[in-house]
Amino acid sequence: MFRLLLLWSLLTSAAPALAQNASPGERLAVVKHVLPNGMTFLLLRRPGAPTASFVTHFRAGGVDEWTGISGTAHLFEHMLFKGSRSIGTKDLAGEQALFPAIDAIADSFTAEFRKGGMADSARLQRFRDRLKQLEDSARAFVVSNELDRILTENGAVGLNASTSNDVTNYYFSLPSNRAQLWFVLESDRLKHPVLREFYSERDVVMEERRLRTETQPFGLLIEEYLMAAFRAHPYGRPVVGHASEIQAVSRGSALEYFKRYYGPNNAVVAIVGDVNVDSMKTWATRYFGDIPAGDPHRPVVTQEPPQRGERRISVEFDANPQILIGYHVPNLRHADAPALQVLSQILTAGRTSRLFQRLVIRERKATTVASFQFPGSLYPRLFTFQGVPIAPHTTEAIERAIYDELERIQREPPTAEELQRVRNQSEAGSIQRLQSNFGLAFQLSNSEALWYDWRQTFRDQAALARVTAADVQRVARTYFSSTNRTVATLVRPAQTPEESH
Amino acid sequence: MRAPLLVFGALLGIAGATAAQQPDPRQQIQQLAIAPLRFNPPQPKRITLSNRVVVYLLEDHTLPLVTVQLVSKVGVANLPDSLWGVGWQADGLLRTGGTARLLPDSVDKLIDFYALNITFSTDHEQSFGTMSGLSRYTTQLLDLGFELMKSPRNDSSRVRITAAQQQENWRRRNDTPGQVLGRAWAQVLIGDHPLGRSLVKPEEIAGFTPERFRWVQERLFCPQNLVVGVSGDFQERQIVTALERQFRGWAACKPGLQEVPSLAFAAGPRVVLVEKDVNQTNIRMGHGGGIRVANTPDYFASQVADFLLGGSGFTSRLLSRVRGDSGFAYSAFSSWGAETDRDDQFFAQAQIRAEKTVAGMTLMRSTIGSMASEPVTAEDVKLAQDNEVNSFVFRFANASQIVAQQLSYAVDGLPPNWFDIYLRGIQAVSPAQVRQAAQRHLHPDKLVMVVVGKPSAFDRPLSALGAVTVLPVDSIIR
Repeated sequence: MFRLLLLWSLLTSAAPALAQNASPGERLAVVKHVLPNGMTFLLLRRPGAPTASFVTHFRAGGVDEWTGISGTAHLFEHMLFKGSRSIGTKDLAGEQALFPAIDAIADSFTAEFRKGGMADSARLQRFRDRLKQLEDSARAFVVSNELDRILTENGAVGLNASTSNDVTNYYFSLPSNRAQLWFVLESDRLKHPVLREFYSERDVVMEERRLRTETQPFGLLIEEYLMAAFRAHPYGRPVVGHASEIQAVSRGSALEYFKRYYGPNNAVVAIVGDVNVDSMKTWATRYFGDIPAGDPHRPVVTQEPPQRGERRISVEFDANPQILIGYHVPNLRHADAPALQVLSQILTAGRTSRLFQRLVIRERKATTVASFQFPGSLYPRLFTFQGVPIAPHTTEAIERAIYDELERIQREPPTAEELQRVRNQSEAGSIQRLQSNFGLAFQLSNSEALWYDWRQTFRDQAALARVTAADVQRVARTYFSSTNRTVATLVRPAQTPEESH
Repeated sequence: MRAPLLVFGALLGIAGATAAQQPDPRQQIQQLAIAPLRFNPPQPKRITLSNRVVVYLLEDHTLPLVTVQLVSKVGVANLPDSLWGVGWQADGLLRTGGTARLLPDSVDKLIDFYALNITFSTDHEQSFGTMSGLSRYTTQLLDLGFELMKSPRNDSSRVRITAAQQQENWRRRNDTPGQVLGRAWAQVLIGDHPLGRSLVKPEEIAGFTPERFRWVQERLFCPQNLVVGVSGDFQERQIVTALERQFRGWAACKPGLQEVPSLAFAAGPRVVLVEKDVNQTNIRMGHGGGIRVANTPDYFASQVADFLLGGSGFTSRLLSRVRGDSGFAYSAFSSWGAETDRDDQFFAQAQIRAEKTVAGMTLMRSTIGSMASEPVTAEDVKLAQDNEVNSFVFRFANASQIVAQQLSYAVDGLPPNWFDIYLRGIQAVSPAQVRQAAQRHLHPDKLVMVVVGKPSAFDRPLSALGAVTVLPVDSIIR
């Protein structure tokens, strides 16, 4: 058919020249303003609607937790929405007078809880009831959700936060004429956080864990997979926390976590939108300048030892099968990282990628096949494949096809067209990622927090264009051995009857 | 315990020292100088092509990107019943099934190579197309996007893939509690009406053929049903010429669609249980919403009521009572829907710890009732009004969003200045009107409640809330 001829003439004429200059992101007129205490502000004025987006990243994540307190980074993130010594209370003294009694009951509960199977369930319930009663008494002094209310009435949108293994972030956007409000509220909650309603929020986090992990086949599979792949490094620990540890975290531990990691020198704020950069600088100093610097963030010392053989786990859940296959690879700063990203795109990005073509289109064995590198960027991580089979095909069939395609790319380099496709997609992506104020603020702040350089994220993308076929082949040969592999499969428990269709 | 307490004390000490230097943040907020916001959102230009298709254009040359949006005034519910399943998948096949000229693989290659984004989506009462990419490929984008709509191939190999995928979707329909809740809810509240369906059934999949897909596509995506919007980096004259060219020779919409059948919501009170072995219970309760989108005080009052009840996050009554005060759930919210031409549904939803299921549901029900039985203060209403007024700039944050808004007004039959009317309507709402809207339309004593969970783990028998009907999970057929 003539279509092919037409297609190839179109494709060859479309190949853009390799980018010679800095990428559009690197050229942004970001003003970096660092306070004497180390707090970093990235300020970018952009034309358009009068909005301003504020994103703060702290170099504090799940990996920074110590043994026994998993989930605390995330629980503390929740607590920062509870207000401060001023916001959120009618009578701070009255409220805080109750804290020692509340904490003591929580400690009694934990002491009993620590007995595990030997714990007295009636005592546990009594402590729980008493804890609820005391927190309800303290709630009489609380102005519920005052922080949220102030922001809501001022027209804030997108108020939220998230905790990952590497960092924790907080964000919202305001009409730009109200930008100063961010400085008042954010500095107040950072200087004077009060962890009110702590233990009922701990219950909320437990429900978040059930919502995202315990009742979700994919959530559970991911958690078990990471625990199997990482035996030493904290990337194996769920950020939301183990159920038993969430139930035992104390207010004191959460404050200790805050004290260790939330120093201003570990904070990066990006403000993007229709803002006056000079005013932002002035307010940064006025509102945040008096916070004393804390200890600098120290990366986790633990390194995952080399894997000594394939690990396979099955996870039972009343749902249809799916599979995760992972290989340990270096962190995002390693010289091989761009080639690994290009490999991922060649194998699974878009309908023309090799594995999608084979498993979804030609063989019709999978509804989807994907690859991604996670659960973080700072430390060595997992190059992960996810596959969802179409019955009667099995996860084994998906597994075989993935190994087969990995072996093929080890033997035969990617084609010039495949590499050009990745470059074109990367070029389009380098512009698309600049569209929204919030998106941009998030990227700037994240990059500076992780790499002490807001341009790094744009450089990482530009680096994809320089990856050669030989690079892709080299990383495919280096990391994708069976010894370095962890395979996790979701299976239906034997006693559960299979679906009738 | 001692060590953490010491830490706490030390921290408060530091905090106290700095606190003395600055006034209370509440005072600071009161004293903030907030300059008036001067902002006239750019208005898209409305033009009519020679075939009378309406196009909204808004240039924005900040980035070299262009976006074309299309909205069709008809959707899957307008199809004959026997084609519902075909209609629900006709969107994906439009993108993946190739064209008369290009095989599916060739389309995929062009899209991936140029890094274009072309998607179609058929919804219940409308259908959508979006095409975007680098503006230097605008010609390729338009050529390919329109070719897909004008001459779909529905290659039989791709029809088989779609069938296999839908079969697997059906197989996986009960894998997560949220999916089960959504489908059970629709079956109980809406019954066998096209608007209650979300999943294609095996007997419908068996009827997938290229011809039947084409029949649907020629009616949902055809010139007279479309409104078009273009935003981003383009020149008006060139884009109008290009659009004229794209529409030239495109066959007119064919007959055979029907009006959406009239919709009746099930009446409560009813309690329906779907058993699933999970430690958290998925709950939805509600009924018909009784409201239409219109320039009436009742509609605006319902919007404010929904905001205060469960639409505004932490400050809403539902989230603050079910989560903040009780710690029963992570998420709790309400949704009070309305359309211009029909009523929609009202519901409240939460995922509640299994051992607090009945306590949580009782709290949800009383919170719905509180909108009529407890005071709605002027302060409450002002919060909703201030939020709408002060956040209005975010409705006009970029050119694509502004154009999308106009497309949606045009298809819904709302005036181009509907947002101004809406804002004025919200500002005029009084606390009494909010309570009246709640009294008139929210019925805590007539709720349909659907519960997905493990009854043996509940705090009390579900019958405490009313006579329980058990809906076996395999009998959910939508």
